[in-house]
Amino acid sequence: MNPSDSDASRFRSASTDRRGEQDLDDLLVHVARGDQAAFEAVYDRLVGPVYGMIRRVLRDPSQSEEVTQEVLLEVWRTAARFDPEMGGAATWVMTIAHRRAIDRVRSTTAAAERELKTADLRPPHDEVAEAVEASLDRERVRRCLDGLTEIQRESITLAYYGGYSYRQVADLLKVTLGAIKTRIRDGLIRMRDCLGVS
Amino acid sequence: MRFFRQDLHALTGVYALDTLERGTERDRFTRHLNRCQSCASEVRGFREVATSLAFAAAVEPPPELRDRVMTAVARTRQLPPEVSSHARPRRSRSSVPWVPWLSGAIATAGIVIAIFFGLAQAHTQAELNQARAVNQQIVGVLTAPDAKLLTSRTTVGGSAIVVLAASRHRLVVSTAGLPALPAGKVYQLWLIGRVKIVSAGLLPAAKAGKTAPVVASGVVAGDKLGLTVEPAPGTAQPTTTPILALPLPV
Repeated sequence: MNPSDSDASRFRSASTDRRGEQDLDDLLVHVARGDQAAFEAVYDRLVGPVYGMIRRVLRDPSQSEEVTQEVLLEVWRTAARFDPEMGGAATWVMTIAHRRAIDRVRSTTAAAERELKTADLRPPHDEVAEAVEASLDRERVRRCLDGLTEIQRESITLAYYGGYSYRQVADLLKVTLGAIKTRIRDGLIRMRDCLGVS
Repeated sequence: MRFFRQDLHALTGVYALDTLERGTERDRFTRHLNRCQSCASEVRGFREVATSLAFAAAVEPPPELRDRVMTAVARTRQLPPEVSSHARPRRSRSSVPWVPWLSGAIATAGIVIAIFFGLAQAHTQAELNQARAVNQQIVGVLTAPDAKLLTSRTTVGGSAIVVLAASRHRLVVSTAGLPALPAGKVYQLWLIGRVKIVSAGLLPAAKAGKTAPVVASGVVAGDKLGLTVEPAPGTAQPTTTPILALPLPV
């Protein structure tokens, strides 16, 4: 099949539209079609949270960069598999990113490099305060985390930012497995309501 | 049994935070998710919470990373979309609870006949899960607030019935009355876009002259829906003149 002349002319005019205001879901659909400009826009919007979260989990900056690169390449490679019914584009990307970070943590070499002392597991407060221009996200999340019970907050942050399995979290916090499952779920329900997730 | 299921349900939180280690427990929960709508929607919500946690930890990486990623991207081939259709339509069943939500126009247009695929046809749990996933996608398209019904005759007879949900970048296609094909040939759908043409999957074999619905994803502005006859099992790019080229109002 030969594309008609009008198809050919559209060829040239494509991908020059404004990217900034397009929402991420739309951008990802363009990425799935091999649109590199759209991918750059996705990168610019999401690399901060991807890298920041991964660094929180892995600590080591060079490993974190490596994993961030893997994540973004996976986003590029698998953009056609993004399913908007299952949640937004940012959530899709962060899910990939968190899984990759966890896989790296659980790979034996990385595990050996990590300090397994409880004192080291807490999210360092200076890091939270690192960005002076406290973003809205940061403020909102901090406020919602503050609304949790201590054990809910600790189990969620150890699981998500610490990258620990829930068995390890249970062990660290000296509670039963059943209790951890419930604390995490209850805490997430509170967070969800507090953040206004539908 | 009841206790067991509640026990599984309580895993939504640890699952959403990826803190459930690989193994039987996670496998069991993953299977449970396919059957438990409320668990799946809880996990979706929790993942959004997790996304906020990631945003709260945002740190800009060193600027060189951008160049490295873009260089790697330019050398990396992308995966094609997963094409979903109901593989073996055998008998229909009309216990589809969402039919009343459909607008009159859509309901009367015959698409409803085409969407009675399904759950009853699945032979294994995997097929059942697949059928459910496809059903969900189809329901998503048909119930989108901007769903549009398009019909078009092909140049060789028969017609395609398309429901387009531009907001979801998806459409559902079924056909009626297309000529039967000789062995070794298939009908293949295409999204003919501004930049390129991408396969949108094959039409399943017709039953009584009709083909069961196929979901195509990734529809963008300027696309036309194309249909060609291709050698089985389909081709990477069209090799024959389209028998249908339907502009999609996205």
